[in-house]
Amino acid sequence: MSLSARVTWRSFQAGALRMIFPGLASLPFGIGFGVAAAQKGLSAFETTLMSFTVMAGTSQMVALDIWAQPLPLIALAVSVFVANLRYFVMGAALQPHLPHLPWWLQPPVWYVTVDQNWALNIAEYRRGQGDLGKFLGGGFVMACIWSGSTLLGHLAAGGVLSDPGTARRFGLDFVAIAVFVVVATIMFRGKRDLAPWAVAIAAALASKWLIGGNWYIVIGGVAGGLYGALRDTKMKRDVRQS
Amino acid sequence: MSANPETLVAIFVMALAAMVAKGGGFLAMRWLGRHRFIIAVLDHAPGAVLVSAAAVPLTQGGGAYIAGALAAAVATRTLGGFTPGLFAAVGVVALARWAGLP
Repeated sequence: MSLSARVTWRSFQAGALRMIFPGLASLPFGIGFGVAAAQKGLSAFETTLMSFTVMAGTSQMVALDIWAQPLPLIALAVSVFVANLRYFVMGAALQPHLPHLPWWLQPPVWYVTVDQNWALNIAEYRRGQGDLGKFLGGGFVMACIWSGSTLLGHLAAGGVLSDPGTARRFGLDFVAIAVFVVVATIMFRGKRDLAPWAVAIAAALASKWLIGGNWYIVIGGVAGGLYGALRDTKMKRDVRQS
Repeated sequence: MSANPETLVAIFVMALAAMVAKGGGFLAMRWLGRHRFIIAVLDHAPGAVLVSAAAVPLTQGGGAYIAGALAAAVATRTLGGFTPGLFAAVGVVALARWAGLP
């Protein structure tokens, strides 16, 4: 179902407000990244600018790993692209809901396509209740919290804030995973989702075990999607033949 | 506020690479989206991505994570909506840790 690309200030605010708590999930990781960036010699401004423009924590962490003088630009570009491949799948899933999006609104939509914001909004789009303002507002808040947390980590490098144990004690390390569980529960359509989800989980666990890294999201997502599509296509063909 | 020009170029390159990954799928669908099989894949892909993203950390996180995930699913189903599920999940993980679960 294609939806309107109209953005209102009210929907932007609503989207921003509801993503504050999920956005806080990035605090411990952001602080950790800030500390690591300070140790690599990046200034507070460079750290915050990187977080606000790239806005993809895992790929930033991977980039820091290969950060050396002179800066390996091609290796940085490739590693950031590969670490963000799951967003390729997420962007592809989003497009059918926004087929008439004006060209000038497309880059902002790509920019705010980050895990929790995408998860919450794709669930609404699938129910026909999606709202571009909420999507952009949520992404803006997540970018601010992520960049702010990395700045905080940079400024507090080595201090109590960089202690992940504090966030762990209050269960905040679970917020990001909780968002996925909650949205998956909302999206669950019953028996027809069971087998594709089982395939996705099996593929994700296998790829984590065999390959490592965060490839499991891409591989699990593609495996579950392909299985579901093959099964549905076969079922439709059988119905047509009988 | 200090910035090295070479670092700024590297940050620009990284931001561009991230946008290519994010926008690539969106743009590719303008052409691929006409195929019925691709539409069927994308009907299942979002849920598959979500369960994949949750499954691996859940298997590595210990009992507190499992309790949190169960609480999230039950609260979302019974109370309805996003916020109750999220708060229930985080609360249960904190309680489970307090009770000694890993």
